[in-house]
Amino acid sequence: MAESYRRSRWTNGLFVVPYLSVFVTLLVFPLAWGIWLSLNKVDLFGGERFIGLKNYARVLSDPVFGQAVKNTVIFVGVSVPTLVVLGLFLALALNKTTKGSSFLRGLFFASSILSVTIVTLIWRIVFIPSDGLIALIFEFFGWQPIGFLSTKGWALFSVGVATVWWCIGLPMMLFLAALQQIPKDLYEAAALDNASRWRVLTRITLPSIKSTIMLVAVIQVVMQFQLFGQAQLMTNGGPAGSSRPIVMYIYEVGFLRWDIGMGAAASQVLFLIILCAAMLQYWISTRKEEVDA
Amino acid sequence: MKRLLLGTTAVSLLTLSSLAHATTIELQRFFGACDAEYGKMTDVSAAVGECGIITTLVNKFEADNPDIDVKVTTVEWPGYDQLNAQLASRSAPDVVSIHYSAMSDYQSRGLLVPLDKLLKDQGIKTTDFTDAAISSVTKEDKIYALPFDNWTMLFHVNNNLMKQAGLMQADGRPLLPTSRDEFFAQGKQFQEATGKPYLIQVLANETSTYARFFYTLMMQQDSKFFDDPSHIDLSGEDAKAALTLMKDITSKGFSAKDLDYPAAVSAFANGDGGIAVNGTWLIGSYDAQSKEANNVLSDGYRVFPSPQFFPQKNATYADGHGWVVPRGDRSNEKMAAIGKLFKFFYDNNYQWARTGHLPTVKKVIASDAFTSLPHRSDIAEIAQTGQALPGEVLRQFAIQDILGEELGSAVNGNKSIDEALETAQYRINDLLENI
Repeated sequence: MAESYRRSRWTNGLFVVPYLSVFVTLLVFPLAWGIWLSLNKVDLFGGERFIGLKNYARVLSDPVFGQAVKNTVIFVGVSVPTLVVLGLFLALALNKTTKGSSFLRGLFFASSILSVTIVTLIWRIVFIPSDGLIALIFEFFGWQPIGFLSTKGWALFSVGVATVWWCIGLPMMLFLAALQQIPKDLYEAAALDNASRWRVLTRITLPSIKSTIMLVAVIQVVMQFQLFGQAQLMTNGGPAGSSRPIVMYIYEVGFLRWDIGMGAAASQVLFLIILCAAMLQYWISTRKEEVDA
Repeated sequence: MKRLLLGTTAVSLLTLSSLAHATTIELQRFFGACDAEYGKMTDVSAAVGECGIITTLVNKFEADNPDIDVKVTTVEWPGYDQLNAQLASRSAPDVVSIHYSAMSDYQSRGLLVPLDKLLKDQGIKTTDFTDAAISSVTKEDKIYALPFDNWTMLFHVNNNLMKQAGLMQADGRPLLPTSRDEFFAQGKQFQEATGKPYLIQVLANETSTYARFFYTLMMQQDSKFFDDPSHIDLSGEDAKAALTLMKDITSKGFSAKDLDYPAAVSAFANGDGGIAVNGTWLIGSYDAQSKEANNVLSDGYRVFPSPQFFPQKNATYADGHGWVVPRGDRSNEKMAAIGKLFKFFYDNNYQWARTGHLPTVKKVIASDAFTSLPHRSDIAEIAQTGQALPGEVLRQFAIQDILGEELGSAVNGNKSIDEALETAQYRINDLLENI
């Protein structure tokens, strides 16, 4: 300890300077500036005036923001477990070294590389009444068409379906990578013990990739709380604001209304919500670990 | 070999020298992208539709002015997010398409360059433009845009279906309603005869159509809902009557539902309904379709202003497009090039008017070429009945979004009429109070 301390020099810190400068410029400074803006009456083109917490009061008393928070929480609450479970299911199903599974891995991952514009165009073709794929199927069976993108309740669901289709590739690949790290001898021992597939899954596989499940869940919580492009392009937040997420609210206030101060305040609230959600998830997982221990 | 090398070098130097002298104008516009079809075309008279005509116009300008290079950036309509970001970062383009309704936001913050001198240098006089156009681009006695057109929402009619419904007159004009009651009676007759919706409206993923129709209905009641430009008043019976009518049209089944903009445009083109409620910009495309053989609009397309649903006033909401020069440092040479481009647009106002938009240049409106264009006589009254929101009303696009969202909530049954109007008024006034 003493030796290593003696050998350390302040010039060694230069190694972290490139990373630190990027981190400070792109993350710390914008975060601090965002907090400062949220305390000011300011629009896109200046006119900065310190007003304390008034922007926060306006945001928190705005029913449109309340609705956006509710929409986003519901969206995250449904899409994240779906992405984790479906991603895990696909990874388990494709954790083989056959040509077919390699092709299917590529196929499921392919959607992830598309831009949000392409994704929403594809799903518009699926959902839009009269010309859409689902409309044609409904027509074939003689069922009444559903306005998936324009009906309260269905709009957020439709955005969710497009999102899961778009985002499923990353969780699947992370789970695949984790599954391939599990030592084979564990499975061999289970086979010798004639363990059932369910028992193997719950006693070997899942405990072995617990940290990856946590990682995927936290990544997805952070990502899905930032839902924006799909909602804007597929439903424009409607009908009646029923699919407007928080980021879209921030965009509307900041860029359409030019009210940057209020938009920055809403951004800080979103930051706190994501932080709390991620921390809660982390706390739950570590707490369970302690209980297990 | 030596000759070849020398020759190539000479040609390269000449090319580089001509490029070095070329003035580049960064032009940013909406109106869509159609480079595959029109990217290299310079015959403006052969182009059809907004995108086709503006693309060909720019190509022609570049061909006529080899010393000027126009670098076009096409933005998603309406493009103001991008413009705002560019202005905020002081990297705005040289020329931008803009709505008259959005101009006050930028002009009031000193973000636009006055164009009086630039237009004067090109020999363009303010008296050359229609009163509606020049008044829309004049702020504090200065001109801030080259007025390009005036537009409004219209009733695009499928005469072939109207004939099937027995709604054609002896003179070949479709029978259109002149009151609220007639609208519902004729709509019922149409739907019983054709089995198709009377109206095709953009009701999904869109707020502007709700707001524009509402403005028209308010203006037809001679409502003073923006008497004070810093506050909207939707508490009166006029607002309730307008929204009730909009709701009844949809809830009583007189309109196709759930269509977004592209779906609504193609639904009318496919003959899925009688009347499309959409803008002047579609006249050229639908008219071209009606001249083709064997389709649902063949010899069966007419277009008219929105009917007068309320007796107080014959009015319809109108706006327009202009070209502005955002603030920024530009050389005299570049400003002169922009002046040339504006003169070219001014000289070709007739070509742009072929889209269906109303021209802004008086002599074009009076010209035989324009008046002999199809359908223009049917919509000529818009020049008198077209009405904009007061120019002092700021954030008109944001207001349109809020209003459209709340109106849509009531029309589609997600909120009561009273609740929607109350919420819209609260949200819009909150916006205006915090500018």
